[in-house]
Amino acid sequence: MLSLSLSLDLLVNGLIIGLFYALMAIGLSLIFGILRIVNFAHGEFYMVGAYAYTLIALAFGLSPWLTLPLAFAAGAAVGFVVERLLMRPLYAGYTSWGLMKDEYAVIVTFGLSLLLINLVDKVVGPYGYRGPSLVQVSRIALGPIMISGHRLIAAAVALLVIVAVALFIRYSFWGRQIRAVAQNRLGASLAGIDTAKASAIVFALAGGLAALAGALLSPIFNPTPDVGVFPAIKSYVIVVLGGMGSIPGSILASLMLGVLESFGAVYISYDYRDTFGLAILILFLLFRPQGLFGEREREV
Amino acid sequence: MLRQSSRYWRLAGLAALLAGLLGPAGAALAAEPIKIGVTIAMSPPGSVSQGTQVRDGTDVAVKMINDAGGVLGRPIELVYEDTQGLPEKARAAVEKLITSDHVVALTGEHQSSNVLAEIEVAHRYHIPYINVNGWADAIREKGYVEVFNPNNYNTRVAVAMAAAMKALGAKRVIAFCENTDYGVGLAKGLGEQLKAAAPEIDYKYETLDRAGKDFLPALLPLRANPPDAVVEIMLPPAAYIVLNQLYEQGIAPSAKTWLYDASGIADYPDFWQNVGDGAKDMIVFGLYHPKMAMPELGKKVAAAYTAKTKNEPSRLLFQAADGFFVLAEAIKAAGSTDPDAMIKALEGIKWTGTRGEISFSSEKSGYRYHQWIDIPYVTFQITGVKQPMADTNLVQEAGKPLDVGKLQKPAM
Repeated sequence: MLSLSLSLDLLVNGLIIGLFYALMAIGLSLIFGILRIVNFAHGEFYMVGAYAYTLIALAFGLSPWLTLPLAFAAGAAVGFVVERLLMRPLYAGYTSWGLMKDEYAVIVTFGLSLLLINLVDKVVGPYGYRGPSLVQVSRIALGPIMISGHRLIAAAVALLVIVAVALFIRYSFWGRQIRAVAQNRLGASLAGIDTAKASAIVFALAGGLAALAGALLSPIFNPTPDVGVFPAIKSYVIVVLGGMGSIPGSILASLMLGVLESFGAVYISYDYRDTFGLAILILFLLFRPQGLFGEREREV
Repeated sequence: MLRQSSRYWRLAGLAALLAGLLGPAGAALAAEPIKIGVTIAMSPPGSVSQGTQVRDGTDVAVKMINDAGGVLGRPIELVYEDTQGLPEKARAAVEKLITSDHVVALTGEHQSSNVLAEIEVAHRYHIPYINVNGWADAIREKGYVEVFNPNNYNTRVAVAMAAAMKALGAKRVIAFCENTDYGVGLAKGLGEQLKAAAPEIDYKYETLDRAGKDFLPALLPLRANPPDAVVEIMLPPAAYIVLNQLYEQGIAPSAKTWLYDASGIADYPDFWQNVGDGAKDMIVFGLYHPKMAMPELGKKVAAAYTAKTKNEPSRLLFQAADGFFVLAEAIKAAGSTDPDAMIKALEGIKWTGTRGEISFSSEKSGYRYHQWIDIPYVTFQITGVKQPMADTNLVQEAGKPLDVGKLQKPAM
């Protein structure tokens, strides 16, 4: 039986989870847009942020609000280093997309994912840690909806960051350059845009956003070394649903998936919660393979 | 010739002197070690929290035995394998331990699904197997002669929980169980026991993914119509997340709803770094409590463990230690590492371990086969955040009924 208060609860929680999915998926989408590769280590950027936030706050007793930007910086640094050290061979010395070594990216990012998971497992240890909450209020009642104080504040932070990133990509100097490289790397290069720098910025931004998602969720989903695996899988689904490389598509698909999972878990079955996204993905691939906002053809 | 002979006697004299100085421990160290295979989860998605405690408990027990001269004059060598909590890896690990490392017996496993996978291999090779923490009754129901269970079993918990729910006066009970042989088996077992002991209680259970993170959609429907008790049948790390989310939603523990932990996770070393206010007022089924009466061996193991790890003892420590100790006793009694002789010795064992006198039932039906039937258990309530185990409220002592009058109902 569909109850109004339960439906509101599910809607709000679905939207909130969708915002966290969006933080992850935007970065993945940007990376695909600019380098046309799938970053299989994206979940580990999330894990880096979750651990950085939790361990720094616990070890030094810092305020979570101070630790949050540090987690973003940690993820951005890892993303930047990965691009510099591991992604450059993808395009260095080549001017055509056709010459890029796609299989190299798959192997490198997959290997990086395994390396980071096992590294954290051995260095930090396998035990989980719960990150500190941004606010000390356990529950907040919004009319018929009950929500944890941290979840609400974290969602607000995620929303602000998503808006800021969208504005950065749309209006800033580097945002325009990134869009140009995503449209046509060779054309952008001929127009004098530093495509290598654009790629580095995108990787740093993607790493930072995923890390921020990990940090914001660490008081809810206690970090363990493999904590990034599930959000990464969701992000792959979202990027395809939204349209490969499309940021608005990724945001919309994230919110849709969050709400779908929330309602499906209650009104269909919780056991199949993680399969709803995959079912929708199959339908999209059959009837609208370019996704919500994707383009059928990208070459100019 | 004479010079050679003289050197020989001098060397022999030196060896005898060294052997005399080192005593039995020295002799044991010189002998060929007895290899015992230990399978545990040392990396996710398995419960590393459990695996680490089992490893520490086994190490403590082996050190005690080796320091005292080993078994049959031979030292014990443990060969660890990481199962990652995955049955397919567990099965391969046991295959390797038996065929490549040539272990004479197996112990350590702490997840039911893995035990079920491993005992198939142990049974095929006829190698004695000690189940350290697999609670699923299905393990015993296989009826494998090689498998012995000096640990808890689902029927015992189900009986205890049903009695507790009845004593609490609950009318509606909901269990959240993980999607494993242990979780689903115990949730079903609780249903059967409630049907027999308290048929008036309306009971249902919901299965949750043990690798899951967001359980809110499964919990939210309870907010509008909270039950009288929520039973949590999950292992960390998922269990910790469920406890936090139940509390954040105001579902349990609350003035209306009791929260009952059936998995005995409150004494895990990482419990308080993962669970906050949600654990306050939680009722816990426990296999160990500092206020429990313990044999001398249990006190020694607890002291050695605390000296080594700086942690408070936990039930898994004792289970792991007993798992190894009974094997050592069986080898001693058998006088060899022959599987048939060890199995015969285990079947006849009557030995006081860390938690009480261990013996194995020979009834060949159902969950009782090769089971230590009278495992002591207690029930306690956590009454404060980050509360040490010794300060928790013991509401049921081993062998006695639950004293509901001692329970503290949550204020809100």
